[in-house]
Amino acid sequence: MSLRAYVITRILMTIPMILILLTLVFLVMRVLPGNPVIAIVGMKASPEYIKKLEHQLGLDKPLWQQYLDYLGNLLRGDLGRSMIWGKRPVIQEIMDHFPATLELTIGGFLVSVLLGLATGMLAGIRSGGKVDASMRIYSIVVYSLFIPLLGMMLQLVFGVWLHMLPVGGRIDPGMEPPSMTGLYVLDSIISLKMDSLLNSLAHLALPSLTLGLVLSGIYTRLVRSSLMEVLGQDFIRACKARGLPGRAILFKHALKNALIPILTMMGLQFALLLAGAVLTETTFSWPGMGTFLVERITYRDFTTIQGAIVFYALFVALVSLIVDLVYAYVDPRIRY
Amino acid sequence: MSGKDWGIAIVLLILGLLIGYFAVGPGKTITTTVTQTSVKTVTVTQTAGAPPPKTTTTQTTPPKKYADTIVIGVTDKVSDLDPANAYDFYTWEVFNNIGEGPFKYKPGTTELIKGIIEDYEVQEGGKVYILKLRKNLKFADGTPCTAKDLKWSIDRVARIEGDPAWFVLDFVNKTEVIDDYTLKIVLNQPVAFYPAVLAVPTYFPIPPDKYPADEISSDNTAGSVGPYKITKWVRDQVLILEANPYYYGEKPKTPKVIVKFYKDATTLRLALESGEIDIAWRTLNPTDIKDLTKKPDIQVIEGKGSFIRYIVFNTKIKPFDNKKVRQALAAALDRKAITERVFLGTVDPLYSLVPMGMWSHIDAFKEKYGEANIELAKKLLKEAGYSVSNKLKVELWYTPSHYGDTEADVAALIKEAWEKTGMVEVTVKSAEWSTYLELTRKGQLPVTLYGWYPDYIDPDNYLFPFLHTGSNRWLGEPYSNPDLDKILERAQVSLDQKERERLYKQAQQILADDAPIVPIFQGKLYVAAKKNVHGIVLDPIMLLRYYLIYKEAGS
Repeated sequence: MSLRAYVITRILMTIPMILILLTLVFLVMRVLPGNPVIAIVGMKASPEYIKKLEHQLGLDKPLWQQYLDYLGNLLRGDLGRSMIWGKRPVIQEIMDHFPATLELTIGGFLVSVLLGLATGMLAGIRSGGKVDASMRIYSIVVYSLFIPLLGMMLQLVFGVWLHMLPVGGRIDPGMEPPSMTGLYVLDSIISLKMDSLLNSLAHLALPSLTLGLVLSGIYTRLVRSSLMEVLGQDFIRACKARGLPGRAILFKHALKNALIPILTMMGLQFALLLAGAVLTETTFSWPGMGTFLVERITYRDFTTIQGAIVFYALFVALVSLIVDLVYAYVDPRIRY
Repeated sequence: MSGKDWGIAIVLLILGLLIGYFAVGPGKTITTTVTQTSVKTVTVTQTAGAPPPKTTTTQTTPPKKYADTIVIGVTDKVSDLDPANAYDFYTWEVFNNIGEGPFKYKPGTTELIKGIIEDYEVQEGGKVYILKLRKNLKFADGTPCTAKDLKWSIDRVARIEGDPAWFVLDFVNKTEVIDDYTLKIVLNQPVAFYPAVLAVPTYFPIPPDKYPADEISSDNTAGSVGPYKITKWVRDQVLILEANPYYYGEKPKTPKVIVKFYKDATTLRLALESGEIDIAWRTLNPTDIKDLTKKPDIQVIEGKGSFIRYIVFNTKIKPFDNKKVRQALAAALDRKAITERVFLGTVDPLYSLVPMGMWSHIDAFKEKYGEANIELAKKLLKEAGYSVSNKLKVELWYTPSHYGDTEADVAALIKEAWEKTGMVEVTVKSAEWSTYLELTRKGQLPVTLYGWYPDYIDPDNYLFPFLHTGSNRWLGEPYSNPDLDKILERAQVSLDQKERERLYKQAQQILADDAPIVPIFQGKLYVAAKKNVHGIVLDPIMLLRYYLIYKEAGS
């Protein structure tokens, strides 16, 4: 299969995937007890007002009709409007929150990969020794850390005691760069705003460190075992016999081969991070998708939840496609 | 990794921290010199002869130099920046700082004073209100605000029929512009507390050229006619208010107010300690409040709140249709255990639905049952046919997050108190907010825990919606008492304050006797602020007036 055919097939495969996900979410949200209208209007509304709102939102229609209406709108590229708070367009709600989550995900991902690679390599090279043992302990300790607790510790040390880093938010008010991508770090670089860049990096530091540190433990163990396996193979022995320097063997030959299973993990981990950074977002008041979605689930905001699921599914499909394409670069034997 | 690599890693870490330090650093304070010789001391008054509410104000002698900016942190959210759909306390707080209605509350009191009107007349026995607007009233963009604009804003609320539309639809028959500065409001029937209704943001004028006539505009920053205008709004992140140059009244003491939105109470507390914010407002955890009182550079200010929490018995579900059962459980309730053990004294035990400090309040439940009266509870349970071998089975429901993380503990202590009788067996169950509301509304939950934030400051708002037949819709309309209905209806229309007070006291006694709803506690308000912040006024209105707050410059 050519690369082009592969990419097209992968994109087409996302359609049934989204359809299945959407149908599941659609049904589950409606089967669960809890009426969005009652959740929106709270305690004080009259039954007539509730009926009127249900009619406005189309919730009085039969389930199959609601489902078909939703799919019809989706095909026209319309994710609908939120059911609560002013009924804003779902796409606007997503665009307000997603860049924050993406920025935190990239930050946390980079920290976890860099720390994980460094500690994993250290353990892999010095396997069996004291360094290996301490790295293995490190991986277990950081992985078992509870995110809010670690976050609060870092906030206390760097925010309250040392006054070095902010304890919450994405950027100081008034420092926002002109919005292009919604990623403050990237927007600051594009618009050459050094103050905004430093300020957004400072805000990103503690949440990224918290998220990254916890997840780095997985990479430590994975890199260690993968590297140990590769280092024990014949071609490494051959490299050594030819007198290649240790660093060249490690980076050019061993690590490149050891990276393949790690890449798979990175792809999965990135998708998980996107959806699962709720605790970090809460601890650092990070205005991202995690806490936003949890809140909307509580309010049974059907349209926003469905819209976010479609959006996430598309994004995760894109990330896994990119990971698949990177495989081919890392391992020339892989062809599509 | 070699020693060199470790070195690089450490250098990178230090570099990162330095970036952070220079990017954020300690907060810079821009100062301006404002000379003011005195500030009025806030006097606490009440509209009726009841004891005055406890109100807390900070020092009243301001320094000569004020900071230009104050940063306030909250864990609340803004719902819709549109008076036609805003119906939550925090959004109302924002509106009370950017807008004003025909009436407003004198800070530190529950006394209603004139807002955007310079005069008013009540005609036809309370059925007609003639509002005479101030002549110098302008919106935040400088355009004049006339009676036509106020009529348009009120009619728009009725037209859109958003969540708070009942403030207009339930009371107003029609609005009529008499001239540029005079608006006539004709009510369906006289309403004794209508001036209090005219103080809610639903009645604030908004500029007709900035708001759509038939749609809710959630992120509208056009504002109103109040002391501040909105200059920046990023949902869930930041709200920046700057002094409205066209405000008719006294200029705000601090020209710029930044509100930062936090997701977590502990982060809010840490933000105050780290100096990112000057004031930590709604809502700090009880433990954090207690802890912050010990910090030398922080002041914790306490004020009486008017929000209440209560237990509801569904009187249509057996055995709670039996008055003796409800009375027994009301008698056994240990409010002090809840307020001290769960809330560390940051709330007060409450013995009526009408909060303490509000005129007509009586400790009806305390007078009838005392506190944690196990012996009385046992006696009543015995009369109802229960015993140690034949225990009363109670299913107690709560919702885990809507009223804060403390809710499970509240339920646990209620269970503990009731089971102390030895004749009650409690099963505690929970459901998340939307499910909880739906099941209660359908009348499926026997015993539930709820809270109430007032819509307007009047005993009517604490009694009529709960006890009048057909009004307690969110509870599945379980309770009905025709005698009580008559009392509440009379109190609603009577313009004789003494008669109203007598009727409400009578209603509270009937409530305590019937015990369909049992009050648990009344909330207190807490603000933690840096020591150099002054002018914070906390009162039962529960809205922070940013325009009264100021901070010493250069500290």
